[in-house]
Amino acid sequence: MGYAIRRLLVFPVVMFGVSVFVFVAVRLVPGDAIIAMLGTESGLLTPDQRAALAAYFGLDQNWFVQFWRWFSHVLQGDFGTSTTYGKPVLEIILNSFPLTLELALLSMLIALAIGLPAGVFAATRKDKPADLILRIVAMIGQSTPGFVVGLLAIFVLSVGFGVLPEMGSFVPITEDPLRNLGQLILPALTLGTAFAAAVIRISRAAMLDILSEDYVRTARSKGLSDRKVIWRHALPNALIPVVTLSGVEFGYLLGGAVLIEQIFALPGLGRVVLDAIQQRDYALVQGSVLFVAFNFMVVNLLVDLAYSALDPRIRLDKG
Amino acid sequence: MTAKLFSTTLAGAGLAFAMGTTMLATPAMAETLKMAWSQDATGLDPHKQTAFSSLRLLELLYEPLVRLDANLEVTPAIAASWEFNDDATQITFHLDPDARFQNGAAVTSADVKASFERILNEETGAAARANFASITGIDTPDAETVVFTMDGPNVPILSAMTSANASVVPAAEIEAGTIGTEAVGSGPFVLAEWVPNSKVTLTTNPDWAGGTVSYDGIDINVLPDETAILAALRSGQVDFALLNDPLIATLVPNEASLTLNKEPVLAYHVLQLNPARGAMAELGVRQAISCAVDRQEVLDTALLGEGRVTGPLTMPAYRTDPSALFCYERDVEKAKALMAETGYADGFSATVMAATGEPPTAAAEAQVLQSQLAEIGIDLTIEMMELNVYVDAWLKGDFDMAVALNGGRDDPYTMYNRYWTKAGNLQHVANYIDDELDSLMLEGRVETDLAKRKEIFAQFEQHLAEASPWVWLYTGYNYTAQQNYISGFAPNAMGSLFGLTSVSIDK
Amino acid sequence: MLRTIFKHPSGRIGLTIIGIFVLAALLGKLGITPHDPLMQDRLARLQGPSAQHLFGTDLFGRDVFSRLMMGIGQSFVVAFFSVAAASLFGTVLGLTAAWFGGFWDGTVMRLMDVLLAFPAILLALLIIAIFGPSGWTSVLAIAIVYTPIFTRVVRGPALSLKTRDFVDAARTFGSGRGYIMTRHLMLNLVAPLSVQITLALAWALLTEAGLSFLGLGTQPPYASLGLMLADARNLMEMAPWLLFFPAATVMFAVLGFNLLGDAMRDILDPKTRRALG
Repeated sequence: MGYAIRRLLVFPVVMFGVSVFVFVAVRLVPGDAIIAMLGTESGLLTPDQRAALAAYFGLDQNWFVQFWRWFSHVLQGDFGTSTTYGKPVLEIILNSFPLTLELALLSMLIALAIGLPAGVFAATRKDKPADLILRIVAMIGQSTPGFVVGLLAIFVLSVGFGVLPEMGSFVPITEDPLRNLGQLILPALTLGTAFAAAVIRISRAAMLDILSEDYVRTARSKGLSDRKVIWRHALPNALIPVVTLSGVEFGYLLGGAVLIEQIFALPGLGRVVLDAIQQRDYALVQGSVLFVAFNFMVVNLLVDLAYSALDPRIRLDKG
Repeated sequence: MTAKLFSTTLAGAGLAFAMGTTMLATPAMAETLKMAWSQDATGLDPHKQTAFSSLRLLELLYEPLVRLDANLEVTPAIAASWEFNDDATQITFHLDPDARFQNGAAVTSADVKASFERILNEETGAAARANFASITGIDTPDAETVVFTMDGPNVPILSAMTSANASVVPAAEIEAGTIGTEAVGSGPFVLAEWVPNSKVTLTTNPDWAGGTVSYDGIDINVLPDETAILAALRSGQVDFALLNDPLIATLVPNEASLTLNKEPVLAYHVLQLNPARGAMAELGVRQAISCAVDRQEVLDTALLGEGRVTGPLTMPAYRTDPSALFCYERDVEKAKALMAETGYADGFSATVMAATGEPPTAAAEAQVLQSQLAEIGIDLTIEMMELNVYVDAWLKGDFDMAVALNGGRDDPYTMYNRYWTKAGNLQHVANYIDDELDSLMLEGRVETDLAKRKEIFAQFEQHLAEASPWVWLYTGYNYTAQQNYISGFAPNAMGSLFGLTSVSIDK
Repeated sequence: MLRTIFKHPSGRIGLTIIGIFVLAALLGKLGITPHDPLMQDRLARLQGPSAQHLFGTDLFGRDVFSRLMMGIGQSFVVAFFSVAAASLFGTVLGLTAAWFGGFWDGTVMRLMDVLLAFPAILLALLIIAIFGPSGWTSVLAIAIVYTPIFTRVVRGPALSLKTRDFVDAARTFGSGRGYIMTRHLMLNLVAPLSVQITLALAWALLTEAGLSFLGLGTQPPYASLGLMLADARNLMEMAPWLLFFPAATVMFAVLGFNLLGDAMRDILDPKTRRALG
């Protein structure tokens, strides 16, 4: 537990670092919110008009003042207002987050549902044809860029079969779960199968590792059935690396899968940030990056805690 | 559709099931037009937003005094009629007495006055102010009459007033400071919901004075990838869509259930040279570049031939035969001779900037131009930039050459005074001006006789093509695609979607 | 070492694939291709695969096979330099953090936490938007994204090694600080590092493809695998070969590095070695 507390103490430091980092980075990008809104027409502005707009977008002060103005509000839970949409930053983030969360959960579910059994199966058939085929499939799956799979899927389904999951006008799961699932199934499969490949490999390796451990051999020699040994004794321990890997992947997915969201027209968090950068919507970029970073750190902390909870040595001591 | 779906032997029961229910769960809503576009609006303030992606939404919600119809003729909107005084220094509008804002209040001359005062107020930061800076007085003799007085004869101001950026908004909303957060216009549609970058829901405005719309509203989806838009059209999820990329649009006619509308637009593709930079300061070099470019080949390659080679004037009323302009027939020998004459026989190196995806064909155009100019020894380096980085550099005049798609207007003066007059706001981007261009523009501004104006601007065009500060290439099309059961859409050369008001859905 | 890898089945396949790609990359970089990859031919636009153009031609009538060779060269250069930079920064930071500990360790690791917590693709995107897209900016962006991973990979073992006896022994025998670090620590770090580097090369290839796909990498008319995929996107119905061949190329290249990484892990990681034995 001491570990968790130490990690928690680091939290604010890292979050402050992220704040400073994103604040500076987004301002170093050439072009500002005025240009993003008016494009080439902003060349028609008079100096007074420009000054008025700069004040409107909060660009009229130096960076220190701007940073303090923003950061002190963040500390009070106010992430500011999006200059593009005139809505509170937090509202925009919380609007798009459920989709990102759902997509992340769904693709994790798909990945584990395919990957774990396949990995365990492959381990029990080590070096037999089934194992080799699974390993090759997993290798290829892990080596194919997700956006290529997504593009090909859209192409094949729409040109080859004339069907496509409904795109755009995203329906929240609370409103119409079936329609919602129909919209998310293809992107979730795209993300999920790629990650399933990784799960197959990791769980297979971990399983092999554990099956060669002494205590498993002992269990086997005691006459326990293979099945029991695998599912009761070996699998829980083989789960550790899978949990770690899944946790890290989940943390990444919560940041929004930018390319997949773009290709499948999903209004998730990744696209919010991407568009905010394009619009030089500083408050929105800063707010959403902070939000993503926070989630990432929380997920990683939980993974670490789960890791120590699942640690085989602890388990062995008790058993 | 469902029968077809279930007859396909699509492996993976879960997938087929989920998608099948999707299709079943969304029966065509009675009379709502389902629409898709790839770029969402970026704001609701009609006076501030200048991006095309915002304007085409705003012009469905708000109305200017007058608007351009499908033939680019000025037609009534809030104003039922209008007239210039004899020397074109004053213009009087008579408002449509039936015009109502969506909050029920009548549109009065006070609203018009307040709207234009808001545009002219520098605090607002409206870029359109530049078009109306010549207004010296706005009088409202009665609730239905507005008189604008200008500092001199100004015919093109009527064309500037057709822009959505000159929309009339309620004086009370200006007072309350809610322009941009609430959308209260007098247009054909009411904004019901806007989820940025996801969807826009519009309902038909039953009180719209401009006519009746035959359906109940529009659901607009933002699909950032145009291949996805095409896919959505094919699977029948979308009734009507806006397409930007000619490579995608040309696929639509292959589909029996879809119709492609293509409308030549006024916006022009151009290779902007920067005459303030290096070799481009030489007239001979600029002319050599103009002669070395094969406009038709760039068009054929980058846009698959989807467009028309053009001179500087792209509006139908003023457009001339481009083959009569300087070096519109490619002439590499002449180009080489011109290069040699100006002392650049061995060519030179320069960079050409282009914006990623804006237009979608920019990278392809840059590459064809690069290969053509290599033939006369010009070694071009292509720099693709994110759009707003590009605009930033463009506005600073910080480039050697730029591939651009610049907007067009129905009037040559409104379209070009920013670049090719001495007082032009964007003269520092164009970086080229001479007395002849300047005086022809000023002449055209005050001339009221159409035949004489055409003559003046033809001369202007001839001279501009010869001075070659820019190399005008071609105009493309504005594409919309629709299911065959949609009819009545009237496209216009400004790319306006106002023509949606005349659409009917007959499933 | 190479011989050991070659004895491992996936190492053999991986090395062969990478060997072929490196050869193609070298030839592409040297300009030894069937056609000039930049040569436009207006009469040969968008032609399917044929004897003359093995993988067909693109929108400009350029030979796709030659452009793929050029693209492999470009993508490999970006992947190689970014991973080299990331592993160098990561090693230096990780080693110094472990060695000096205290304030420096805290600073370095918090900085790495910040970089890790920052969504990777957005971090790369911002860096590229700031410096302008080019192959070298991609190198910088990918290097910065992967530096924290290397720092962590190096710091962990370095910390445990630091406390071990042989370092103390070397110390008592009077070896200098620098000598101990480079000699003993590096030797015991080579295993995890080289596995990590091979895998990072695979990621870097994928990341480069993703960035170029968003138009943020290699600049036209030069080719990179991601840029070829991006250009193929709106043409995939008219000319599916434009999508298919670069996609397959990316896949095989990444596959090669993944297989090699697997083999190296098997060979170098004492834990798996034990499990295998």
